[in-house]
Amino acid sequence: MVNLTIDGRAIQAKKGQTILEVARDNGIYIPYLCYHKALKPIASCRICVVEVKPGPPRPQPACSTYVTEGMEVVTTSERLDVIRRELVKLVLINHALDCPICDKGGECELQNLTHALGIDRVDYEAQVLTPHIDYESSLIERHPDRCVTCGRCIRICRDRVGAMAIHFMNRGYYTELGSGVLPLDCEFCGSCIEICPVGALINKVFKYQARAWELEKTETVCPFCGGGCTYQVQTRDGRILRVANQDSILLCGRGRFGFPVVHSEDRLTTPLIKENGSFRPASWGEALDLVAQRFQEIMAEAGPGAIYGVGSPRATNESNYLFQKFFREVLKTNNLDNPGRYHFVRGMAGLMAVFGVSQVDGLAAPAARVPAYHSPYEVTEGATGSGLMFVLGKLADLPQADVALVVGADVTTELPPLGWALMKARENENFQLIVANPRATKFDRYAALSLQYKPGAERLLMGGLFKAIFAAQPDIAPVINAAGLEEFKESFKKFSLKEYATKAGVDEGQLKTAAELLLKAQAPAIIFGTELLGQDKGQENATALADLFLLVGKPGNPGSGVYMAAEKANTLGLLVVGVLPDRLPGFIPIDKDPGLNLEQMLEALETGHDNAPQALYALGGDLVRWLPNRSRTEKLLKKLKFIVVQDAFLTDTAKLADVILPVAIHVEQEGTFFSSDSKLGLLRKALPENGVRPDWQIIMELANRLGGAFKYVKPAQIFQELAAQLPVCAGLAPGHCFPAPGLTAKLSGQFVPFEQDISLPGRRPYTLIVGKSLQHSGSYTTHQPCGTLMVTPGARLKMNPEDAVALNLGAGETAKIISSHGEITASVSLDADLPPGVVLLPDHFGEPAANRLTLNSNLVRVTIQKM
Amino acid sequence: MMDEARLSAILSRYDGEPYDLIPVLQDIQDQYNYLPKDELHEVAVRLKVPLTQVYSVATFYKMFSLIPKGKHQLKICLGTTCHLKGGQRLVASVCNRLGVEVGYTTKDRQFSVETVGCLGTCAQAPVMMVDDKYYARVTVDKVSKILKLYA
Ligand code: SF4
Ligand code: SF4
Ligand code: SF4
Ligand code: FES
Repeated sequence: MVNLTIDGRAIQAKKGQTILEVARDNGIYIPYLCYHKALKPIASCRICVVEVKPGPPRPQPACSTYVTEGMEVVTTSERLDVIRRELVKLVLINHALDCPICDKGGECELQNLTHALGIDRVDYEAQVLTPHIDYESSLIERHPDRCVTCGRCIRICRDRVGAMAIHFMNRGYYTELGSGVLPLDCEFCGSCIEICPVGALINKVFKYQARAWELEKTETVCPFCGGGCTYQVQTRDGRILRVANQDSILLCGRGRFGFPVVHSEDRLTTPLIKENGSFRPASWGEALDLVAQRFQEIMAEAGPGAIYGVGSPRATNESNYLFQKFFREVLKTNNLDNPGRYHFVRGMAGLMAVFGVSQVDGLAAPAARVPAYHSPYEVTEGATGSGLMFVLGKLADLPQADVALVVGADVTTELPPLGWALMKARENENFQLIVANPRATKFDRYAALSLQYKPGAERLLMGGLFKAIFAAQPDIAPVINAAGLEEFKESFKKFSLKEYATKAGVDEGQLKTAAELLLKAQAPAIIFGTELLGQDKGQENATALADLFLLVGKPGNPGSGVYMAAEKANTLGLLVVGVLPDRLPGFIPIDKDPGLNLEQMLEALETGHDNAPQALYALGGDLVRWLPNRSRTEKLLKKLKFIVVQDAFLTDTAKLADVILPVAIHVEQEGTFFSSDSKLGLLRKALPENGVRPDWQIIMELANRLGGAFKYVKPAQIFQELAAQLPVCAGLAPGHCFPAPGLTAKLSGQFVPFEQDISLPGRRPYTLIVGKSLQHSGSYTTHQPCGTLMVTPGARLKMNPEDAVALNLGAGETAKIISSHGEITASVSLDADLPPGVVLLPDHFGEPAANRLTLNSNLVRVTIQKM
Repeated sequence: MMDEARLSAILSRYDGEPYDLIPVLQDIQDQYNYLPKDELHEVAVRLKVPLTQVYSVATFYKMFSLIPKGKHQLKICLGTTCHLKGGQRLVASVCNRLGVEVGYTTKDRQFSVETVGCLGTCAQAPVMMVDDKYYARVTVDKVSKILKLYA
């Protein structure tokens, strides 16, 4: 603690705080302009000057002067006033006076400063500059004549986002924010807009929609990726006009500009029943009665297992929990699963094989009454826990890692907050990043080592890495209590390090360097995501990485952990609440009569096995769009007698349904999500439902028609019931992750050998990676008027320019892509980030449908032809 | 169209690291008389420097220009002494004769005119430089004679 006085007031502050921070924490106003709490101070505007004793005779910038014992700070004086006023006047010399039409009006820091300092005239004149106003770029408008050259936008883009897409041009009086090229070519995260103190950067989606003071604000959670960003939804007259994260400022583009999908014309507004091949609107009563009746008929004939359920990573924990409860307690079957089966579930299975299921011991009985959305279990002294949840890293800790290994993930595209955390980690000068990926990605720029391996060769790369580690340190003793190390070592006898390197397509020396870095790391982090897990051998990939963490991980040190990117907002929650055929809420295994998983269910349909289901109840989860091998999925789903889809949009799967039940989306309901790193996000209702219903209500209505007795009036009650079944979530509250830091981890692991091969059958010349676009989340963001459609309106086949020349294809031309499972056409874009022979196609759009080409994997060999 | 070989020849003299940016830009400026757009894009890729940063550097230093400069660079001094000794009149005369404004290049691409803060030879004010050569005490009547030397 540091004792100081500010304006005569005695104040205690933490060591390492700046005067500005201490003043703000104590309600003392010091004007500033270039400072922002989300950034490191640069002390360039000097408006925050204060008098400091003991110290130099001239005033000091409060934003970058650290408090010291016995310091006396004066924040207002004649001298300071003159300085501040002069500085603001200089800023105002060439400032456009278009406040009446400037979107920032009412929330502009320059307006506020001018007002606070009582500046009523500017006594200077200078050359009038002609600003280069940018109306041309997507989503962002730039008005250099309103810029106060604080550099906040440049710093957030460079230091937090890592995009380095904007910079000052020219110098001195002529300094102007620019991007070098027009239109702007960047990540379109919009963080620069949000951090600009003035109206120099304008959000085109929000422009002229409302004045700042007319907006109602609700804190909620972004519904797109598993990042779990909380943001403020700003609404007027039942419409969202803007979203903002006022803490770290950071959101990604889909989070910031994707919200207009809520108001899409494509939204389903009423239940639909299919009759003679086309849908007709129906009342809720009629639709629900029909579903109940058909379920009953089918079950009477073929037993409860004839109904198959698919949960949704877009639906809340409460809805998904109720969904599995409906299947288990009302229908009496374990036949349900979730779409993460094709990626995230594989990852969890790999981790589980090595670290075991999570268990917690030594907790007291659950409390009867706790605040809404809190766990009833208290973290008591001496409580311990084990299993995979204890190795999953928390995003907030990642900046403390000293080595991060990213395998097969384009970090920002998979989970933007992972990228932000890595940028933060870079501020620690000892931090070293290793990026392993078949293609070049954004974070190669920041990597100490880039390993570009052959597509599909990650397990050979990992084999080589283990080999190099064992060679460098033959007597390595893992920090985590581990079994089976000797047998595990044996599994790398097959090849020499050189052979591994050659097979994986990397350099032997690189593997040695990577091994060295990992061995000397005090807090190593391992990062991967959907792209790696989406391969048919995704589970093997995850096992290999779990083994690596078991070998070199130091889970006691903050930042050291396994970071597995979840594709959608509640991909993890689905597993926690038990939307799995073989596990109950809290990962409790089912020994008796587990259900079929999604893959087995499709196989049963294909073979016509007598355990094949006859009806499907899908909570969102557009199977046709997402499962590999689209034509097979379509064919198999058509075999079903009855399909109910509960979704906000008429998805490709919904088109096959007999009944469609329209659901509320995130801002129209209350409930919770679990982010990728197990943070409990609390959704709050900001908009009325307008005829649609939240999933949990629909499930409850249906359950009660089929003999259930569900009596929930609000989601908090469901959460309460659910949380009582989750001791692993002890101590949980909104905004917190589980397991709670107070639980002592008693980790142990078992080394599990993994398959060391490349699984890319066939002889076709190109390897296609089915990937993701930074601007989209599933198909959710592909509905107009989603803002990111302005940046990425469709999917293009990305290929190396040399390949394009060889195929005689130019940018924008159409290529035919053929695999053993199907063919599609796509327009081509050239991208030197892809090595020759590897092409990439994102899968968000209905057309081109990348999943017509695949079979159980997001990697496939293809032939490409010019159309 | 970009002359790949010409640019590669310049880049081959350096390590290809971000710290080479300024010397590489200097070489391009020397050889091309300006920094062409395509070349800047290629430099950004080859030196692994974000394009915006390349532009930021290219616009920060007066020695770089994004528009083609003339064959000859005229630098007229407007430092304190030159200013007092009629530098402003010299500027007007030069611009008049060449039919060009300060900061621009004549239509025939022969001359670019710019004003500078000081050329370091105040004793000889007003001073003007053409390329690497100094001209001392340039009164207005000397302008046409000097320009003819370069025509
Ligand atoms: S939108 Fe994001 S990436 Fe683009 S310039 Fe702004 S901060 Fe940088
Ligand atoms: S555009 Fe805004 S944030 Fe960027 S330098 Fe100008 S005033 Fe600061
Ligand atoms: S999509 Fe993900 S990263 Fe982007 S704002 Fe939403 S939660 Fe955050
Ligand atoms: S806010 Fe401190 S110098 Fe700008």
